[in-house]
Amino acid sequence: MRAYLKCFSLLTCAVMLGLAQNARAGDRFLANTALPILSVPADNPQTDAKIRLGQQLYFDTRLSADNTISCATCHAPETGWANHGKTDTGIKGQVGGRNSGTIIDAGYMKFQFWDGRAGTLEEQALGPIHNPIEMGETLDNVVLKLNAIPGYKRQFNEVFGTDVNTDGIAKAIAAFERTIVSGPAPFDRYLQGDPSAMTPAAVRGMKIFNGKGHCTPCHSGPTFSDQGFHNLGVGYKDGKFADVGRYEVTKADKDMGAFKTPGLRNVDETNPYLHDGTEATLEDVINLYDRGGVPNPNLDRLMLPLHLTAAEKTDLVEFLKSLSGPVPAISAPSLPPSEEN
Amino acid sequence: MKTKHIRIAIALFCLLGLLLSLVMPASAVPVFARKYGFDCTMCHSNFPRLNDFGQRYRANGYQLPGREHEDKTILESPTPLALRTSAGYNYDVFTNSNDPDTREFQINGLDLLSAGLLYRDIGYLLVYPPHIEGSRGVIEQGGTIEMANLMFSHLFKSTWLNLRLGRFEPAYVPFSVKRSLTASPYEIYNYGPWQGWFKLSETQEGMELTGYSRCGLNYAVGAVNGAGTSYQGKTTADFYARLSKVIGAGEGQTAGQKLGIMAYSGRSYPTVLVAEGPFEPPLIWFGWESQTEVEAITEWKQYSFYRLGADASLNYKWLNLALQYIYGNDSPEIWGSGDADISFWGGFAELSVLPMTRCVGFARFDHVNAPGISDYNVDRITVGARCYPVDNLALHLEYSRRTMKMGDNLDDLIEDFATLRLDFAF
Repeated sequence: MRAYLKCFSLLTCAVMLGLAQNARAGDRFLANTALPILSVPADNPQTDAKIRLGQQLYFDTRLSADNTISCATCHAPETGWANHGKTDTGIKGQVGGRNSGTIIDAGYMKFQFWDGRAGTLEEQALGPIHNPIEMGETLDNVVLKLNAIPGYKRQFNEVFGTDVNTDGIAKAIAAFERTIVSGPAPFDRYLQGDPSAMTPAAVRGMKIFNGKGHCTPCHSGPTFSDQGFHNLGVGYKDGKFADVGRYEVTKADKDMGAFKTPGLRNVDETNPYLHDGTEATLEDVINLYDRGGVPNPNLDRLMLPLHLTAAEKTDLVEFLKSLSGPVPAISAPSLPPSEEN
Repeated sequence: MKTKHIRIAIALFCLLGLLLSLVMPASAVPVFARKYGFDCTMCHSNFPRLNDFGQRYRANGYQLPGREHEDKTILESPTPLALRTSAGYNYDVFTNSNDPDTREFQINGLDLLSAGLLYRDIGYLLVYPPHIEGSRGVIEQGGTIEMANLMFSHLFKSTWLNLRLGRFEPAYVPFSVKRSLTASPYEIYNYGPWQGWFKLSETQEGMELTGYSRCGLNYAVGAVNGAGTSYQGKTTADFYARLSKVIGAGEGQTAGQKLGIMAYSGRSYPTVLVAEGPFEPPLIWFGWESQTEVEAITEWKQYSFYRLGADASLNYKWLNLALQYIYGNDSPEIWGSGDADISFWGGFAELSVLPMTRCVGFARFDHVNAPGISDYNVDRITVGARCYPVDNLALHLEYSRRTMKMGDNLDDLIEDFATLRLDFAF
């Protein structure tokens, strides 16, 4: 009998040790997810005046060819700094091919745009202005228009020591966008030791997220993005992609149909989802993953059918909702008038 | 004694109840889970069985597919060590046989595991069951290196060229005996001469070249030393090949339909030419004192054998049906009997049901149609379930009945095996 008791004492100790190890492994995954201090380019330090200027430019429709579209038109604060339309609608009602991604935490991303063609917010900021479908304005003309607005000319001289130029426009908008950072979410508070911060369903969903759901290989790190590009097969039909994605930038076969992994903070506010906005809800996105994506010759090898149950999908959605934290409450500022009295 | 067993059983159930009542948001931690901080269910549908993701990870040389450039080596990761053991009540009773019965609580061995990346595209796996003296409640275990191999992935940057060297679980066994859901063995894999030393599904030393394509085509060719298929592990030069195809998304583990064929051509050193009856210890039985003298007498000739197999892993929602058929052909000398080749066939059908991640049920039927010289057909029926209070801890319940037909004039040899055990890795 003593031998049995010894055996089971050892067994119990081993099991408890295993459980303790469990907690440590989970902690390690979770410990990597807190948002760090945002790094800022050395040549574009954050200043209050620059951020105020950037905010005005961000909301100013005069940056577009027909004075109807601003950055905020497609990346509006009231819609999660994104747009609830499937894809962008630019000047003259032109419809673009991609969904407007949120700018929340965009400052943390190594690549901008769905295909990653811009490396920094500064590079990104000018893109939509001269995109013929979006704002449809030439950069030269924007500079001329803004220099004709005394309020902007004065602010540019105060901030950059020059009249309005494209470099300043880009830097000011980027500086403003870097302030759009998500605050502590229930998930973060849970990590900090508040077990009541997340619902039991969200806690279960977190486990699925890091296990059966196969989410973390791509959606990991502080922003829940690996900053990489993956092919889910979205938009693949009749043997070709409606949008070749990252391939357009690199011309590498491996990037055919691949798009940037978006961050997931505040994801429940940024519907619809995916680069073409084809999935209306988080449930729809999960169903896409559950099916293993859309079969195509370049489907990412991380994509596999998941066999999630309905309850597991519900839990996963609850977890995703727990990633939403407060973002700066910003509304459209008063803009410099075109002509001062 | 029975009262003591009942008390211990009650204690065990109380412990399991406690474990089942725990809500554990954290993940499981054997080597790879610890490295990535992933939950066990990332790679295992039900530990130890791999899911499709785990299968791809293994085939990719223990690197996340598509993420090889950023996978950390063992020097950049937590200590790559893990343990696995199981313990519980074993009931193993034989009818019409002299084999000793077992009715007791036992610890069923211990495995030490280490695995990881030495460098990009160079992975390794080591499984070491240490020597454990048998004693009350502990099953004796011989210390050995069960697996020790290096895997060189993506040679010439091709997914078609992945090389595994060392001692490994060869690909011609499509349903891993090391990651089986059942404690009862697959009968057909190790079916051979009656003394039971023929173990085709054991790990082998050698080299294996594998490859896969995006369309689900997989191949493996290997050359191994056949240590498991010769008495006392004398080595030969054996060769095998396997080809499989997955139809649909997945790897055939829990998704996609996988069909495969395999061929194994081997040579064996039998000792039955000079020996009959019990082999333990073999030298004493012959009255000789040294291995050298035995070798001089038996000449250790090699005799050929081969196996041809077909298999399928079919998935529908939460059901998996694993099918295996193998045809075997052995030189008569391997069996120490007759002049004609010995041929037999057999296989199994295993259905596993995964209604939820926390529980899996399984049922399997094994059959071996014995060669004419013995006519001792073998049937085995196995049913059971594994429940997981946490991912790396399984409550395993299984019953299996093995029946060996002994012919018209003799009673069947029957083994009834049941176990209730905890199987865990940490």
